Order: sequence, then structure tokens, then C-alpha cells
Amino acid sequence: MVLYTLRRLVLIVLLLGVMSVLLFAITQVLPGNVARMILGQFATPDAIEAVETRLGLKDPLVIQYGRWFFGIVRGDFGQSLIMERPIGPVLAEALGRSAVLAALSFVLVASVGILLGVIAAVRKNRPIDHAVSVFSYLGISVPEFFWGIAFILVFARWLGWLPSAGYSPIGEGFGNWFARLIGPTLTLTFTLIAHVSRLTRSSMLETLRSRYVLAARAKGLPERVILFRHALRNALLPTITVLAIDVGWLFGGIVVVETVFAFPGLGRLVAFAIERRDLPLIQATLLVITAVYCLANLAADLLYAALNPRIRYARRTS
Amino acid sequence: MRKATAVFLVLLLGLFFLPRLEAAGGHLKVALTANLNTLDPAKAKSGDEYLYMFMVFNALTRIAPDMSVQPDLAERWEASPDLKTWTFHLRKGVRFHHGRELDSEDVKATIERIQDKATGSTARVNFLMVEKIEAPDRYTVKFTLSLPYAAFPEILGERQARVVPKERIAELPTQPVGTGPFRFKSFKPGDRVELVKNPDYFETGLPRLDAVTLLVIPESATRIAALETGEVHAVWKLPLEAIDRLKKHPQVVVDEVATSSWDGIIMHNRMAPFDNPKVRKAVFLAIDKAQAAEIALFGHGSPTLTPIPPSHPFFNESIPLKADPAAAKKLLAEAGLPNGFETTLMVPEGRPERERLGLAVRDMLKAVGVKVNIQRVPWDKFLADVEGKAAFSINGFFSRPTVDTSLYPWYHSSGSWNTGLWHYKNERVDRILDTARQTASVEERRKLYRELQQVVAEDPPSVVPYVVNQVDGFRKEVKGLRSNPMLWFDVRQVTLE
Amino acid sequence: MPAGPLETGARRRLPGNLVAGAAVVLAIALAALVGPWVAPFPYDEFHIRDRLQAPNALYWFGTDEYGRDVFSRVLVGSRLSLLLGVAATAVSLVGGVALGLAAGFFRGRIDEWLMRLMDLLMSFPPVILGLLILAVTPPSLWKTVLAVGIVYIPAIVRVTRSVTLELAQEEFILAARARGESAGYILFREILPNAWPPIIVEASLRVTFAILLGAALSFLGMGAQPPSSDWGLMISEARSYLDQAWWMAVFPGLVMCLTVVGINLLGDGLREWLDPRLRHGGA
Repeated sequence: MVLYTLRRLVLIVLLLGVMSVLLFAITQVLPGNVARMILGQFATPDAIEAVETRLGLKDPLVIQYGRWFFGIVRGDFGQSLIMERPIGPVLAEALGRSAVLAALSFVLVASVGILLGVIAAVRKNRPIDHAVSVFSYLGISVPEFFWGIAFILVFARWLGWLPSAGYSPIGEGFGNWFARLIGPTLTLTFTLIAHVSRLTRSSMLETLRSRYVLAARAKGLPERVILFRHALRNALLPTITVLAIDVGWLFGGIVVVETVFAFPGLGRLVAFAIERRDLPLIQATLLVITAVYCLANLAADLLYAALNPRIRYARRTS
Repeated sequence: MRKATAVFLVLLLGLFFLPRLEAAGGHLKVALTANLNTLDPAKAKSGDEYLYMFMVFNALTRIAPDMSVQPDLAERWEASPDLKTWTFHLRKGVRFHHGRELDSEDVKATIERIQDKATGSTARVNFLMVEKIEAPDRYTVKFTLSLPYAAFPEILGERQARVVPKERIAELPTQPVGTGPFRFKSFKPGDRVELVKNPDYFETGLPRLDAVTLLVIPESATRIAALETGEVHAVWKLPLEAIDRLKKHPQVVVDEVATSSWDGIIMHNRMAPFDNPKVRKAVFLAIDKAQAAEIALFGHGSPTLTPIPPSHPFFNESIPLKADPAAAKKLLAEAGLPNGFETTLMVPEGRPERERLGLAVRDMLKAVGVKVNIQRVPWDKFLADVEGKAAFSINGFFSRPTVDTSLYPWYHSSGSWNTGLWHYKNERVDRILDTARQTASVEERRKLYRELQQVVAEDPPSVVPYVVNQVDGFRKEVKGLRSNPMLWFDVRQVTLE
Repeated sequence: MPAGPLETGARRRLPGNLVAGAAVVLAIALAALVGPWVAPFPYDEFHIRDRLQAPNALYWFGTDEYGRDVFSRVLVGSRLSLLLGVAATAVSLVGGVALGLAAGFFRGRIDEWLMRLMDLLMSFPPVILGLLILAVTPPSLWKTVLAVGIVYIPAIVRVTRSVTLELAQEEFILAARARGESAGYILFREILPNAWPPIIVEASLRVTFAILLGAALSFLGMGAQPPSSDWGLMISEARSYLDQAWWMAVFPGLVMCLTVVGINLLGDGLREWLDPRLRHGGA
């Protein structure tokens, strides 16, 4: 297990290395001249040349890459071209905010999704099963931005229960901070929950039909013990794999939801970077996202192994 | 399972016990539409950045809401009789936020920095006429121009010409220091800019607010909801489609003012088929200006011919603004395009008025047999790859302080925007513009500019179908805030009840 | 399935959700086919005097900010949205199935490299990858299709690979190998026909993801271009009118919802119908 984790960590580091080359290559392909982006439409050729020299854009690509790569190794993500300030602190701040948002949504998606799935499976084809289906389908089948705006209209505009958008640092009061997390969190949860609840329902149905559940029933164990001790544990395995994939989805949702709710997180930062062609910022944000995503996948795999003793990761066969 | 349900219920219940929003003291919150790209005034390009700049910095002069020039950091000025030498006398005792007193060297450094190509300021073109800047004493700045220019004080009130301390230029992007009514406190990219009152502001008793926070809220529906719930006190540049509904809101004031900001249907005069003046005139005739304003602005603007708004005394009302599809078709046939043509119209993304104008153009040109495909382009890509390069695009420009600064750069063959946008050349127009900027008599200028409108209606460089109203939304408790034709907020007198 | 009398009798019948899903999908496909001919108005025709009208006898779903008929737009848009979903899925199928077969059949180093490559591709969240691809080139429908298709290749590869791995151990494949059949023959004649069911199910779900991803890209300004009546673009454009003209967003949203649910039902139904364990009464 420890060996396996180590091996995966090494792989992740390698992957990030490859990724850094790839990201660097992609940003070289992006259209739009960096110096022109900075200087605006009236830039004269010699002004562009001056900026290019200042930023070292005329050096060979390998040297540019090396400078960037070793900067990151030292923890220096470089300078945002557009905002003219160091990327590190901006990125850390945005990452922290998004992490809270993502973690909250993830916990809700996992817990509520599994709960709904189990309820639906146990009450198969009853009204509550259909209600769960409708609820989860509604969330998944209409784009996030629609639900986000609908949420603001209903809870902020009409009911007045919640602030409409923005971010308030936790230092300025827990209530304010929390209130502004509710909208984006619930929107994200709502749009992702179908994935988990549908899958839990179907794998739960499958395990409920399995021999050992029937055996447990025959032994006369109470239904609750059967459900949670025996069935759920097995039914959760495929769900965990899906949850890992959901981290990627969650991130896609975050880009959109952060825009709707004016939440200054990593998603907005990436969109800002791509929109303004802020190359160092694009490189830094995407690298961080990749790292987070790899770690999430690793966590899911480890959890999977912990729940399923049949899998021996040290000698992976398939 | 019961436990999980309980946890979920508690979370839901938590929604109802959240603290209500705190009442604002003297702390004004304003919603911005986009993240600020820079805190450096010389490099600012967007309306959101201008809002911040006018709170933290001052210029030598100030353009008042009636478009007259008022003293700001300069208390008075005089020009030589040939209008080529301008002397400005600085107000004494003005202090930067870091404590040092403003002097003439700061002004010199500021303007020279804008003139420097390496700075990349969009205002550079305005100062090309400045040959020499001298600072004979601490409180006097002397500008020597290469040509006589009557409206030079207006140029010094331009957006980017905010005076910065010469020793703090490197810190401008991170810790900007100015002389304005508010001091910079912090900038959280993508989130907010926090400003606090400058207690040493040179206009005694001002500002009256303790602090201003500028909040970035990109989604327009969210911005409006924040205004309606009172989370922000003001929204700069309301989305036009929301205005009629917001006017009915009991806590919100909608303030509208005519400006000379305009949107344009840009045709590149050197690219086919728009290199043919007949094709350009056909497009000009195919566009119904009043209907374009109705579609794009929901009527919150006025149809026009050039950036001179119809409310201006120089406007030439004798030229028809209605579409004439028959004449347009005839011109296309004369140009050898009896069956029209197909073209791609580039529209900047995220600017709903210009997007609607693009669709209106598509619809109106369909009537004369021209097929238009629309392509939306993200704003920065638009600046890099479309502006001045595409054959056909929608673009728009903010109000300039004078008729000359509104027209000359676009219509004169040497004008900075002309050469960077549509490449128009008409000798009569050049002559009129050169004469008008050196003419002192208002009546003479009126005649010249009316003639100019006649000429460009016959030989249009492109189509300027309307000027846009500036519409802002304020909460009722905000006192003293007005929409400004130059599209910024003057918050010095503002109070909150 | 604990076989009750009803279930036994219904064994050979198609599952209800399959029928319902197929009906919805067929209806929408029909709309996509005939939409432009039966729509009451052209999808891009302005009626400026009738802008932002609530649903009425003339405009069944109301009108938008240009006075265009929302009903006609939704009808005509079904073609675009379905096309986006189906074509993008086709792209990921073509790429994903081939790679998945190769990885699962040849195993060893090819498998290792391919899967690492897929990990790499999967470590970009779909929206970001789409944004990056579309940032490089001017957006258009077919580029959106391509971008969305590429994003979902890894998912198809994974499914195909796992089925192939399983099938490769089956006796009839081992027999084919023993006969000395070529790899191409075994892959395309023996494995692929038997691997289809789970791939089809996965693909049907990808169609809905593709439609939704297309909508998210439209929201972020890439993707479909106006005056197109792609549903995602319609909802995205309607969002600033949500509180004064709900019909602009709600009708395309409803149809989109219906489509996604229909395709999901179809997928679920297919799974039940094709999965032998479920068909024959459970494990």
C-alpha cells in the first residue's frame, strides 16, 4: 500500500513534468502577441520589441521553458503579464477559496447523492424513487448557469434569504463568509448529484439481489444492518470511481458557477487568464489544477482499495 | 440514514438563521463589470479601471458634466496668442497619499511617461503634439505644442493623464499612490478594490464618505440582483435590457444621461468589397439608424451620423437617418454586385449592445441581398486580431471631451484611430478638420462640422448609427451621485443615508 | 432480479424506460429532421414590435429580445443540439474505441503508454480543455464538436479497454488466436461485435454530456455563434432576461432537459436490456 502510494506519487510528479512541457507548448500556440496584449492596439513595432526584450520573449524556447520550470521548482510562478504582480499569492488565495467551495460541494454531492441513491434503490418504483429521479435529472440536464441565476433570483431577489453573490473573507465574520458559499455550493451540488445518485441506485439494486444479501436476509438480520453493513459497502465501489471523475466535472462547474456568483476563485482566474492570454498565469493555473486533479484521483483509488480488500495494488494485474 | 437526513436538515435550516446584511455607514459599494487589468492609470483601457482611477488620482484639469473644463490640480492656466505654448499653475500644498507634496516635476514625469512608447498608454496619441515640457519652478508647468490647439486643457483632463508621483512609478501596479479623494488600500484580483478616505485631500471637507469598495460582478443578472437586495449601492453602466424593470423598483434610482459614446459598423476601407465607396454607401443606406438604436439599445440612445450627438448644436439634422434599401441595392449593382455578397461580421464577445447591433446589421443587410455571418470574438482577441484588421466588424468608443477629439482621430487621414481602424481618406474632410480645430468662432466651427457631416454621409468611412446613453443604477440611500457623460463617477460629494 | 411471476412474464418485453427513452429521442430526432419546414417563422426573423412577448396564440413559446419566435428557434435548434451531441460522441467513439481495443488487446507497453496518455488528457477538466482548444482557433460548430469529442475520448477508451480485457480471456477469442487469426480479424470481427453493448450505453450518456458541455462553452463565449438557435446558446443568451422574460430560457431549457432525460432513459434501458445478468433474472 505504502509502496503503491509512493509509486503513484512519483508518477504524478512525472506527469506534472510532462504537463509543464505540454502547457508551455500550448501557450506558445495561442494566438495573439503577448507584447501587443500588454501594450494595447496602438503599440508600435519598436515598443513591442522593447517589451519582448524586457520579458525575455526573444530567447530560445528551451531557455524560456527552463527559466519558467526552475522558477516553479523554487516556488516562483512568475509575474502576471496583465496584472503586473506576482502570480504565487494571487493563485494561492484563489485556490484556497475554490478549495473550500469544491470540498463543501464534494462532501454534499457524495453524502446526499449516496443517500438519495440508497433511498431510491430501497423504495424502487415507489413515488420517492421517481421523485429522486426527477430531482437528479433536473439538476443534470440543464446547464449550471441557468440554475445559478435561478438560485440568485429566488433566494436573493425574491425571498431575500441570502446575499446574491460575491465573497466575504472569513475574517469578516463567519456568517457572511458562509452565506456567500451557500449559493455556489448548492448549485454545484445540484448539477452533479445525478451522477452519484443514479449510480448508487443501480449498484445498490444489484447488490441487494446478490447472494450474500439474500443469505443475510435468510439469517434474519435486521434490514438496516443488511443495508448499511453489507449492501452499501459493496455498492459504494463504483460510486467512488465516479466521484473521482466528478472532481474534474466539479472543476468545470466551478468555472461557470464562479462567474455567475462573482466568486473570486481559481475557476475565474483560469477563465481570466485564458481570455486575456496571460501566458504565465495560464501555465501556472493549469499546472495547479492538474496537480489537484491527480491527487484527487489518487485519493479515490486509495479509498477504493481501503474499501475493497480484494484489490492488491502492489501487484496490479489489469 | 436518519442521521444523514438530520445533518441535511440542519444545513437547510442554517439558511434561515444567517445574519442579515450589515447596514453601510459611510462605506459605498459599487459593482464593476470586469476584473481590473491594471492599477496603473497610464495603462488603463476599460471603464471599470477609469472608475477606480478617478477616485485615487487627479489630473491637471477636470471635465465637468456639462463638458466644460474645470481646474483640478492646476488652479489656473494661460495660453500664448498662437495657442502653441500653454502654462499651467499648480495648486499649492497638494499632497500625495504617501505624504510628499506634488510638484511640477511629477506632472512632467507623468506626461513624458505617457508619451514614451514603451509605456504602452492608449493616451499617447493625444500627447504627440507636445514637443516640450518644462518645469520652471515647483508650481509651474509649461507645454510647447507643435501646432496651435485650443482644446489642450481638455486633453490634460483625459482619463489616462492622472498625475502620479515620479518616484513611485514602479509601485503603481501593486501599491498605487495618487492625490485623489481616496487612498488605495487593497486589490484582490477578480474580487474587489478597497479604497479609504484620504483625510488630507486638498478640497477641504471632501470626500464625505469613509471608504469605497469596488466589487467585481461579471454576470449582469447577478449585478442587478445585488443592487436590488442592497448589497451594492451603485451599478455602473446598467445592462440596457434591465432598465425598464429596474425603474419600477422602490429602492433603486435609474439615472440616464446622453453621451457621445458610440458604436460603429466598421468597414475596412482598403479591404474588398468595402474598398469600393459605393459599397460603403450602400451599407450606410441599408441601415436604419433609429431602428438600430431601438434594437441594440432598447431606445436608450439616439440615432446619429457621426460621433456628434443629435442633441449637439453642431448636429446636421438635414441628412436622413432612415434606411433606403432601393437606393442601396442600386449602388450595389453599380458596384458590380447586383446579387449582393457574403461577408463575416466580427462582434466583440460580452458586449450585449454591440452583439445586438451586429444582429440588427445582419437583418437589415439581408433586405439588400447581403448575407452576413456573425462571429463573436473574446474582447482581447478582438483587440489583437480584429480591430483594424478585419474587413467588417462592430466596435464602439467612449465619449471624448470635445468635438475635435471626437472626430479628428477617426476621420482625418492622419488620425490615430483612422489609421488603426478603417483607413479612410477624403481630402475635403481633412481640410475641414484641420481648419475647424484652429477656428475660434463657434458659428464658423458649427458651419464646418455641419458640412463635414454632409460629406461623410455622401462618402461614409463606415456607419456610426447611434450614440449611447450612460445609464447607472443607485440605491435611494445614496445622495449626490449622478451619471456622468464622460462615463465615470464623481464620488467626492456622495453621502449615504 | 428476485423473479416474481410478473417479472418472469415480462422477461422478453423491452424495459419501460427503454421504450419511453426511445420515444422521446425519436420525437426530438423527428423535430430535428423536419424542424425548419414546420416552424411557423424563420428562426432568425425579427419582429421588433413584438419583442419580449409572453407566450400567446401567435408565438407559442413567446418571443425574445429581437422579437424572434422562441418556438421556431427551439424547433430549428433541435437539429444543432442533437448534431453537437451525436457528432461529438461519434468523434470520441472513433478515437476511443480504436485506442481502447488496442490497449486492451495488446496490453503490455502499448497499454501502459496509452493509459498514461489518457490520464494526461483526463487531468484537464473538460471545460478547461474545451476552452483551450477553442482559444487557439476561431470558434465554430464543428470545432466545438471536435473539442467536445476529444474531451470524452478517455472515457470511451476506458470502457472499451475493460470490455476488451474481459473478452480477450473468453474461450472463443483464445480459440481464434489458436487458429492463428490476424490481430485485425480478432479485434474487429470477434471482439468488437461483442464489446458493443457497454460502449453503446456509455456513448448514449456521453451524448448528453456533450450537449451540456457545448452549453457551458457557449456560456463562456466559445461554441455556437449567434443568431444560431443552439439550445445552449439560447439559454445562455436568455439568462439576463430570466426575471422579465422567463420563457426565453425556460422553453429551450425544458426541451434540453427532456432530451437529456430521454437519452439517459434510453441508455439505462439499453443497459438493462443488453446486460445478460439483468435480462436473465440477476446473478
